[in-house]
Amino acid sequence: MEKGKISSLQMAIMMYPTIVGTAIINVPAITGLFAKNDLWLSPIWASFTGFLAVYAAIQLHNIYPNQTIIQYCEEAIGRISGKILGFMYVIFFALMNGHGIRIYAEFIVGAFLPKTPISVVTASMILICAFTVYTGLETIGRLGQLFFPVFFLPLMIAIFLLLPELHPQNIFPIMENGIMPSIKGAFAPQAWFGEFLLISFLLPFLSDIEKGRKWGIFSVFFVMLTLVMVNLLVLFLLGANLASYSYPLLKASRYVSIADFLENLESAVMAIWVLGNFVKFSVTYYCLVLGTAQWLNLSDYKPVVFPLGLWTMIISFWGIPSQMESTEYSTLKGFPYLSLVFQTLIPLSLLMIAVIRKGKKKKEQNG
Amino acid sequence: MMRWGAFFATTVIVALIIIFQWPKIKQNSKKDKLAFFMLLLIGWVLSMFDLPNMAGPTTWIEALFKPFGKFMEQ
Repeated sequence: MEKGKISSLQMAIMMYPTIVGTAIINVPAITGLFAKNDLWLSPIWASFTGFLAVYAAIQLHNIYPNQTIIQYCEEAIGRISGKILGFMYVIFFALMNGHGIRIYAEFIVGAFLPKTPISVVTASMILICAFTVYTGLETIGRLGQLFFPVFFLPLMIAIFLLLPELHPQNIFPIMENGIMPSIKGAFAPQAWFGEFLLISFLLPFLSDIEKGRKWGIFSVFFVMLTLVMVNLLVLFLLGANLASYSYPLLKASRYVSIADFLENLESAVMAIWVLGNFVKFSVTYYCLVLGTAQWLNLSDYKPVVFPLGLWTMIISFWGIPSQMESTEYSTLKGFPYLSLVFQTLIPLSLLMIAVIRKGKKKKEQNG
Repeated sequence: MMRWGAFFATTVIVALIIIFQWPKIKQNSKKDKLAFFMLLLIGWVLSMFDLPNMAGPTTWIEALFKPFGKFMEQ
């Protein structure tokens, strides 16, 4: 179905904006709400689910080589229950994609384009991602490589430019109320780290699979480092009540002012943000399309690319009347639970079942 | 309640997708075509409703996980 190949490094680079792209929009606010000035610790706890997801995806891929999670569901737990689980995964990825686009669009409309209907922002993003997905995995891999420096470097430059404004003493007192607040703050970001399960759709197309584990783990680590840095930045800049801003990092970028000359950098920040999210949604959209095509046993994934774009659009609106509703669902009441179940617990159980079954088979062969 | 604007826009989008995609998937298998048209049809029907103010997946998921919400209370 997919004839292209990507390298492990490309996979790691693609996954970086996939997690960071939306995780730096409104996750720092909800983390700050629970963790207060310990919010920089939360991504460290949260990255645990990322490492678990990568571990599960790699181990499962070793047991079922060249198959994605939709395909080996059937082999691991039987034909009918595997089909049902595969269907649930397809729905899950469709929801993740649609609600992710909603977060992105609310951010763009709320912060930069207040007079533009939100459907214009979602539709244009979905359309351009659809064209990318249509051309296949190799294109997405190369786009990721191309845009990674443009996405990553400005973030570092922003931190550098903000250095004179920072108040590092905001970090104290560390763990004033014990470890619990920072663990509660990790509840939202763990859902984003769980998205590393998406590599189970990319592993079958790696040209150097033996390096997949190394780069996968490296990618999780790098994302964790970035989120810790972003959280420290907003904490040093805005103090412990940063949760009162819906988009703390955007607020932070407005503080940049060098010699009254270099100001209003937030429009540049937005351009970079759009770029990162373009890579992000291309990756999640691709995984959704590939998963759907494999679940339906189609001969090619191309026929479902555009129809699933329409579905993404519908999902991004369905049952979500406002920005508040979208944020509440994605960071507190819905997505974090759903992600924990689908991207951490189920893959680990699948792995356990697969290992036990493999052991049984070996015993039968030997006996 | 129908939202005519959204429904009309979706109709145009669905028509455009069919016009541009049909020549390419004409030679694909029957199953591919069926999946293509079914997804478009269900999407098109859904667009007739007032989706943002209707109960949807998010409502159901939030209801499903509500019992676990105690842990996250401040």
